[in-house]
Amino acid sequence: MHWRTRQKAAKIILGGITFFFLIFQWFPLFTMGVLSFTGPDDGTTFPMRSLSLHWYREFLRDSFVDDFKPPMYRSLVLAVICSVTTAGLALAAAQAMRSRFAGSDLFFYLILLGIMAPGILVGLGMAVVARVLGIPLAWYSTTLAVHLVWTLPFGLLLLLAAFNRFDRELEEAALTLGANRWSAFWRITFPLVLPGVIGAALFGFTLSYDEFARSLFATGSEQTLPLIIFAQFDRQLQPTLYAIGTTTTVISLGMVGLFALLFRIVRRRAQTTSPGVN
Amino acid sequence: MPPHQHHRMSTVRERASVSYLLALPATLWMIGGLIVPILFIVWVSFWTTREFALDNPLSLTHYIKLFDKPVYLKLVGHTVLQTMVLMGITLVLGYCMAYFIVGKVQRDGRKYLLIFLLIIPFWTSALIRTIAWIPFLGVNGVINQSLIFLGLIDEPIGIFLYSRTGITLAQVSFYTLMATGPVVYVMRNIPPSVLQAAQCLKASPFHVFWRITVPLTLPGILIGQLLVFLNVMADFATAAAIGGNKFAYLGNLVLLLYDSGQLPFASVIAVVMMVCMLAGVAMMLKVVDIRRLGAL
Repeated sequence: MHWRTRQKAAKIILGGITFFFLIFQWFPLFTMGVLSFTGPDDGTTFPMRSLSLHWYREFLRDSFVDDFKPPMYRSLVLAVICSVTTAGLALAAAQAMRSRFAGSDLFFYLILLGIMAPGILVGLGMAVVARVLGIPLAWYSTTLAVHLVWTLPFGLLLLLAAFNRFDRELEEAALTLGANRWSAFWRITFPLVLPGVIGAALFGFTLSYDEFARSLFATGSEQTLPLIIFAQFDRQLQPTLYAIGTTTTVISLGMVGLFALLFRIVRRRAQTTSPGVN
Repeated sequence: MPPHQHHRMSTVRERASVSYLLALPATLWMIGGLIVPILFIVWVSFWTTREFALDNPLSLTHYIKLFDKPVYLKLVGHTVLQTMVLMGITLVLGYCMAYFIVGKVQRDGRKYLLIFLLIIPFWTSALIRTIAWIPFLGVNGVINQSLIFLGLIDEPIGIFLYSRTGITLAQVSFYTLMATGPVVYVMRNIPPSVLQAAQCLKASPFHVFWRITVPLTLPGILIGQLLVFLNVMADFATAAAIGGNKFAYLGNLVLLLYDSGQLPFASVIAVVMMVCMLAGVAMMLKVVDIRRLGAL
């Protein structure tokens, strides 16, 4: 076989594998979305005999909503706090690492450990610490602590990448022209690495909002959304869960879209306006 | 980096004392939220009784329990086996996709679209994605219905839900991303001139792939496999949701023991899990180093 034909064949096979995997990955989510509109008498799988909003109405019924509203609220607040904290701490950590301070390698590995350490170990560990030391478990303290351990490494990696790419000469110019470090950082450096900060905030939000394993151990009686969904699932699988799952997935995807939009706006701004002039 | 760049001006000076202050909050948080909890697990695993007392006498009581019943060691074996199966599948699948996206897709726009389609589910709930698998796997599930429709089977088969097949299917869909991502990242940094040089010197495509592409992407493969290894080792939610109560891995046992208040024994299982992980990481580093020597 000619090498060109062979390469074409390789491209088709690899493309087929990629295409098949993407369908494999997305199909369950789409199917859940479709099944959430199933009729009131239908089960949890196909065939769908009729289309309806029954299970969404069921989800919005008082008894149900009373169960789901507080966890939903907690999860959203927790995600926002985690998002802001991740972005802030990651920005400080990345700026610190630029100075190559003594022990910065160790510092980097310490934070990377957060990606490596599995949720069940971190969650169990936090529960053990709380029990032994008599600290009450709560979504806004112990859960936040373990969520951030998971989100901070992603934030740091994104910001290190942002600091690697940005034009250091702009920062140098500001300093040469007499700006002090503080104002040069906030007026020149920060706007230039802002896309990285937004990326860190996105990871902080979505990873916290959807986190299950860490929350399962570290959260007290006031549960977060994934926990109450799991509890409901454990009791009985009903199409209501599809309606809830579709709703939270749409919220997650909406957040990703929002951050992507913000990212584009900020990047375009950084490219078109010369910073520091205004 | 040329030496003069070390002396360039920057908003943070080389080894400035302010950088310690900037790194402090993150350091404290990681120590309090990660290091201390892990150390506590190790400490509590040596407790003799279930009582909550800081001066609980230390002993190997709960470690000995591990060998009481063959069930526990069998569970370790099952978990390691499942992890290895997942590593094998995600390695091949992930590398094929990374090679296609980076090497075969010409237009940048399409490249980014594929990468996004791959990554976006990572930002949605893993729990919801697990639940979304359920309608596929049952006896009347989508897989059975399609197989019957295609005429491949006459009667629905029950091998998907509450089975290892079902768990594996779902896990592959969750964790392949972790194997692909690092390889994509590393592969994009290979300068095209390296591959062109090899082609100019009349290396066959297979030779270019095996002697240049694979060794250069080895760090990406390693990081990806490490992430898959650690995550599948610790996964309990997939087995809990899809495996019913029929299948359990080490993570499920930790949860079971924790729920029944047996904290020291739960910690022992967690320590066993950690030891398996450290052993696995050490072994992977060794294998990769040897291969790298062979490739050079």
